[in-house]
Amino acid sequence: MSYELIATLMFSSMMLMLLTGQRVFGAIGFIAVVAALLLWGDKGGFDIGFSAAMKLMKWYPLLTLPMFIFMGYVLSESKIADDLYKMFHVWMGGLRGGLAIGTIGLMVLISAMNGLSVAGMAIGSTIALPELLKRGYDKRMVTGVIQAGSSLGILVPPSVVLVLYAMIARQPVGQLWLAGVVPGLMMAGMFIAYIVIRCRMNPVLGPVLDPSERDMPRAEKMRLLRAGILPIVIFAVMMVPFVNGWTSLVESSAIGALAAFVAAVLKGRMTREVFENSVRNTLGITCMFMWIILAALAFGAVFDGLGAVKAIEGLFTERLNLSPWMILILMQLSFILMGTFLDDTAMLVIVAPLYVPLVGALGFDLIWYGILYTITTQIAYMTPPFGYNLFLMRAMAPPEISLRDIYASITPFVLVMVLALVLVMVFPGIATWLPDYIYNKP
Amino acid sequence: QSTIKWRMQTYAGAALAEHVIVPAVEMFNKIAGDRMQIELFFADQLVPTGELFQAMQRGTIDAVQSDDDSMASPTDVTVFGGYFPFASRYSLDVPVLFNQYGLNEIWDEEYSKVGVKHISAGAWDPCHFATKDPIRSLEDLKGKRIFTFPTAGRFMSQFGVVPVNLPWEDIEVAVQTGELDGIAWSGITEDYTVGWADVTNYFLTNNISGAWAGSFFANMERWNELPEDLQALFRVCCDQSHYYRQWWYWGGEADLRVNGPKMELTSIPDDEWATVEAAAQDFWEEIAAESETKRRVVDIIKKYNADMVKAGRPYRYT
Amino acid sequence: MMRGLAFGYIRAIDAVNYRMGRIVMYGIFVLMGILLWSSISKTFFLPSLWTLELAQFCMVAYYILGGPYSIQLGSNVRMDLLYGEWSLRRKAWTDLITVLFLIFYLGVMIYGAVSSTAYSLGYWGSEPFSFLAGLATGAEEVGRAERSSSAWRPYLWPIKSIMILGLTLMLLQCISELLKDVLRLKGETI
Ligand code: NA
Ligand code: NA
Repeated sequence: MSYELIATLMFSSMMLMLLTGQRVFGAIGFIAVVAALLLWGDKGGFDIGFSAAMKLMKWYPLLTLPMFIFMGYVLSESKIADDLYKMFHVWMGGLRGGLAIGTIGLMVLISAMNGLSVAGMAIGSTIALPELLKRGYDKRMVTGVIQAGSSLGILVPPSVVLVLYAMIARQPVGQLWLAGVVPGLMMAGMFIAYIVIRCRMNPVLGPVLDPSERDMPRAEKMRLLRAGILPIVIFAVMMVPFVNGWTSLVESSAIGALAAFVAAVLKGRMTREVFENSVRNTLGITCMFMWIILAALAFGAVFDGLGAVKAIEGLFTERLNLSPWMILILMQLSFILMGTFLDDTAMLVIVAPLYVPLVGALGFDLIWYGILYTITTQIAYMTPPFGYNLFLMRAMAPPEISLRDIYASITPFVLVMVLALVLVMVFPGIATWLPDYIYNKP
Repeated sequence: QSTIKWRMQTYAGAALAEHVIVPAVEMFNKIAGDRMQIELFFADQLVPTGELFQAMQRGTIDAVQSDDDSMASPTDVTVFGGYFPFASRYSLDVPVLFNQYGLNEIWDEEYSKVGVKHISAGAWDPCHFATKDPIRSLEDLKGKRIFTFPTAGRFMSQFGVVPVNLPWEDIEVAVQTGELDGIAWSGITEDYTVGWADVTNYFLTNNISGAWAGSFFANMERWNELPEDLQALFRVCCDQSHYYRQWWYWGGEADLRVNGPKMELTSIPDDEWATVEAAAQDFWEEIAAESETKRRVVDIIKKYNADMVKAGRPYRYT
Repeated sequence: MMRGLAFGYIRAIDAVNYRMGRIVMYGIFVLMGILLWSSISKTFFLPSLWTLELAQFCMVAYYILGGPYSIQLGSNVRMDLLYGEWSLRRKAWTDLITVLFLIFYLGVMIYGAVSSTAYSLGYWGSEPFSFLAGLATGAEEVGRAERSSSAWRPYLWPIKSIMILGLTLMLLQCISELLKDVLRLKGETI
């Protein structure tokens, strides 16, 4: 049997296994060890699965994973973001669609305090969504706002996806994180522009907040702005020592987790229940990630052992004889396609190692590609049928939001994100300017 | 008759492997043709470097290029692989020690005991510090988190160096993310080749060993299954790899010190550095006391260095 | 009889793994403490030799030993494109079969862990299970114990043993899930 055939068989049987609904790590791990046993025979084949565990142990940036997850849960469970929402509510409510715009602002600030999209989703759907619905906002638009906004969590630093990408592409996390800042803000700006335009055309979608709700003394209004200090402090406590090289990546993540914890305690929000939920869910989500990565690493090693990586390179560059840009675009498209039926974490750990070396070999900047990659991942997170954000939304949204609403809500935002993707592709400086500026200062 | 396929993993990453192993493997494949093909994998690609030895012993991997120290071979000679402090001054010292002073025989004995074929040893580059901040005295070494070889790290920790062990491919990023302050793993040629010169600023001209010692190994059964002529071809290609490194590093070290634009050279004064050399003598004794085999190797290294001193110029100038 | 045994097994294994998970979940603070100490010691004293590696060991213990509890919590994502729409009965039937694949995977992992642990205790033969059994009875001796190739040089058998334990508990938990599906199909409520 040729290696290409084995590789194809491995990939397709993994898909099939995934379709059965078994836990993702089990499906991938099973295919990995069976392929290893078939290829290596009884002797070496037994060890490939476990040696992935030893490899995973040495992937030190993954130590940030539980830290960022814990941060996210502390922020969302303790509801210390309530004040933030109130700030936007009062300050932005006077505009058409203002609450939706404020929600995007809220999402940007939450993104700066955690590394995944989960926290943004939880805060958005528990705090913002009910308020928006109560005020007569269009349910499809606001559902989309929250999903799109929370996806900024992995583009604005800190970002777990960029940590994983950094490990796979062997690029510095600091530069990748900084590269995500401008595109993240740009995308937030584009979401806002979309909301403004839609609400101008059709004011029913986002009615102006009743003056009685936002009439308050100026001093009171200014006081609300103080809520914005918290995210800035948490972000700074984590990022400043890191970017200056005083603390390492993993140390900074622990400082961030501690900062979020202390903030919740100081605000009197760290109840027994919040504590319990944060600690327990951190274990659950960390385990989910780690077991998938563990299985995917074994899968990747077998795939590599087959020479599948070289085969894919050969396919794109020699057999199809495409230009580098064509290959890049095809890869992005295939990502979105695969994202429709493949688990996101698995996609990251299995597919990225196939593509990233090729991108490097084609002469593209891997920091820039990391941002393209992350935006593409975000799109995949949001597109049905398989999307992490879709699942979360379904789990967290109030009952009047149907699955159909959720699916319908994301379409315009996905188009905005595709536009952002194209912009970053055409103008790489959007991503590379900030890291170049900070790290190459004279 | 079907083609024999071997999987070989090197401890070098892709950029470095381009020089130190890829040409030899390509040569082997070209000559062996349909009879045998070697598939080469880079650092951590199939198995993590720490698991290399076990993977080779079990046949997950058929052959390995590594120093004994990095892959933590379970033998008594492991500490002498990689950089055994001040054991050699020039890269030619290593093949002489193995071929003329009897190290080959000891290595063969030790590896046969654990079911692995030791094929041949060769030299790489000297071991220098590449750091973000300048090192001009021993004091400057204190508290620096340095990626280095296990034994070299053990030795240098008495001068306040904090050795850190990470996967080879993660080093460049680890310097940037602040996990590391520098690297004591290679000479300046590798610093430039693998990208470390881009993330560090200073190169210390004093070295703690003049040449790395590392080897080619194979799973014993796989090796014995090979017909004699393919074994001979394999050895010839290993020697070709050793030879390539001899001139590539020797020329590269001088050229980049003189013409390299990315790193500033610094030195620790000779009399201060002499304390490190003296400490190495104690370290040798400490190691020799651990076992009979280690005593034999240390004695050979001592004898060799004494001979070189007596031989005078050009073998030794000081 | 079989039913009683099955319920007994489920109760026992779920209880053990629940306890284990409840203890291990506080490991997040141990991990945080180590990393914070790492930044403190680096800023104010000499950097510690052991922090990064110890943190790595803790992380392994955290997710491997916490794995079974995460199964109980239902944290492990499934691709529910089809699965999500199925009836409970159909889910149980499918799981009944596919969990065997998961069990197979874990079995191979345990084999790898056992042989790696035996290696870390200085055994290079091909019968790692009987070696470890021999260690327990005194028939075998520890050989050249594997140490990490860092300057701290910790022995590796403790973390590898923890991995055997965690993988085994995970396997037992999956068997418990399998039994639950069997009982569900027989119309029992769990
Ligand atoms: Na973020
Ligand atoms: Na998707």
